[in-house]
Amino acid sequence: MNQTLTRLTSHVPGLDTILGGGLIAGSSYIIQGRPGAGKTILANQIAFEQARQGAKILYITLLAESHDRLFQSLSTLDFYEAERVGKDITYLSLFRTLRLEGLSALVDVLRAELARQGTSMLILDGLLNARESTHSTLDVKNFVAELQGHAAFSGCTVLFLTSARIDDSSPEHTMVDGVLQLDEELLGSRTVRRMRVAKSRGSASLGGLHHYAIHDGGIVVYPRLEALFARPSKADHAPDNRVLSGVHDLDARIGGGLPASSATAVVGPGGSGKTSFGLNFLRLATPEKPALHFGFYETPARLASKARALDVDLDALVASGALSLIWNPLTENIVDALAYQLLDAVQARRVDRLVIDGLAGFARATVDEHRLIEFLAALTNQLRAIDVTTVCTWETRELSAPALNAAPPEALSLFDNVIGMQLDEADGMIYQGMKVIKVRDSAFTPAVTKLIIPNSTAGGVVDLSLPTASGDANRS
Amino acid sequence: MATIVVVDDESLITDFLSFFLKAEGYIVHVARDGRSALELIREVRPDVVVTDFMMPAMSGFELAQALRATPQLAHIPVVLASAAQGATAKLRAELFAAVLDKPYAPARLLALLRELTQASGTAPDDTHEP
Repeated sequence: MNQTLTRLTSHVPGLDTILGGGLIAGSSYIIQGRPGAGKTILANQIAFEQARQGAKILYITLLAESHDRLFQSLSTLDFYEAERVGKDITYLSLFRTLRLEGLSALVDVLRAELARQGTSMLILDGLLNARESTHSTLDVKNFVAELQGHAAFSGCTVLFLTSARIDDSSPEHTMVDGVLQLDEELLGSRTVRRMRVAKSRGSASLGGLHHYAIHDGGIVVYPRLEALFARPSKADHAPDNRVLSGVHDLDARIGGGLPASSATAVVGPGGSGKTSFGLNFLRLATPEKPALHFGFYETPARLASKARALDVDLDALVASGALSLIWNPLTENIVDALAYQLLDAVQARRVDRLVIDGLAGFARATVDEHRLIEFLAALTNQLRAIDVTTVCTWETRELSAPALNAAPPEALSLFDNVIGMQLDEADGMIYQGMKVIKVRDSAFTPAVTKLIIPNSTAGGVVDLSLPTASGDANRS
Repeated sequence: MATIVVVDDESLITDFLSFFLKAEGYIVHVARDGRSALELIREVRPDVVVTDFMMPAMSGFELAQALRATPQLAHIPVVLASAAQGATAKLRAELFAAVLDKPYAPARLLALLRELTQASGTAPDDTHEP
């Protein structure tokens, strides 16, 4: 049955995905959200794209807000094209018709206009007003029914925009084909915008809350990663070849390297060498098998300078096309936006080895912390499926069993391999030591390996016999 | 005393212009779409018509064309005030006495109306400077 439905391509990133393929032509939808949530932007973004595809749009305002103010605010957005207004998209105010003559007069005017303009999409901004103008929900029900019937007959898609809270049992909700809720709320001190397909008649939608953002280009929807990638896009074939970690001793102990297309968590306290491990792993990238560093801490310049201290020439790797760097400061991020940025970069550059430094960047961005495990599961599964060998750093208070368990206990199960890093001391020297906690399908030698970076003179090893600024206090 | 017909589907605009132009000494009639404006114009024979572009039933463009096609009404100057179609309207300059891009300064409209009504000798007596 479903294959006969004609879907509209909205070109609103992510929207068609959560709608299960897009708005259905000839259907009616409610777009609901408080003022400021972005309903008007979303509806106009859809309208301008439909106009570009040759549709005629009738945009009716039932609000006491002037059209030139609307055009002024829309003109700051990339999708707005002034030359389409009045030609492909007609904006009419029927505020007065509704207020003075009521809903039945409104239906009459709309019918006449739909026919006159040859409309293929009708947008009604201010359904709340339509409800307020009458005391009877029956009238609103009739209004929606008549308009919907008329529009569906002519193949016209209808969007009702309303700031009213429409519950599941309200007549509008029961009558329309779909309900899209835009929600802007305050979580802690940050504003979070999320969208939900509250009703989708005749088609499967992506359930739950999906983050969205309003950019200069308009609205971008980020489908919840674990909902979209509930299963990875390709079958995982678990290859048995190995990828060199860059640390000879480690590779020798774990059967020749990290399993290809696997995910490795490098855990340990701050300063234990996790970032260094990652930089050393990137060192082996080539233009044919390129790498990506997806970081939250050091800016690319500082990362390059840190690498230089380890004799890893990041700039040369970048210049040769063997390495790309993406840095997102650990500020206010949308967790799914990060994931799509990462996956897009991996696919666009056919990345073979990936370093994520570190997982806290995702953990901090999940406003709903209960999502983290499912999110990381979806992300690591997808990375495996697209043949990426991933190293993720994960900072813990210390490398002890209780500290590792303080991380969500399921989290480490998501990784094929877990390597613990800690500062160890031997022969008067502190060195960054690695303990293999697990490696997928491999036996390994349970011993501490020194993180030695080939060619590096510093090598992450600190000689305690040298005098330091803090004198001999560090030997106590 | 000059008579102005103001045509706009947005009641905010007709309410404001009606109040504002009455205070300036004009007789003001209001219509909310091109078709009812045409009837109103036949009836009140205004000195100037100030119209929006996008309206139900009949657009400002169609209204201006209908007026030009009616011998008794063809002489009435039409001012188009539009937020988005200024450029399009300027291509059909013969239909309009002037084109104002919304939002415009009220003083600009006043100056324009004074000019158009003085040409027909019906400017309001009380001509204070904007």
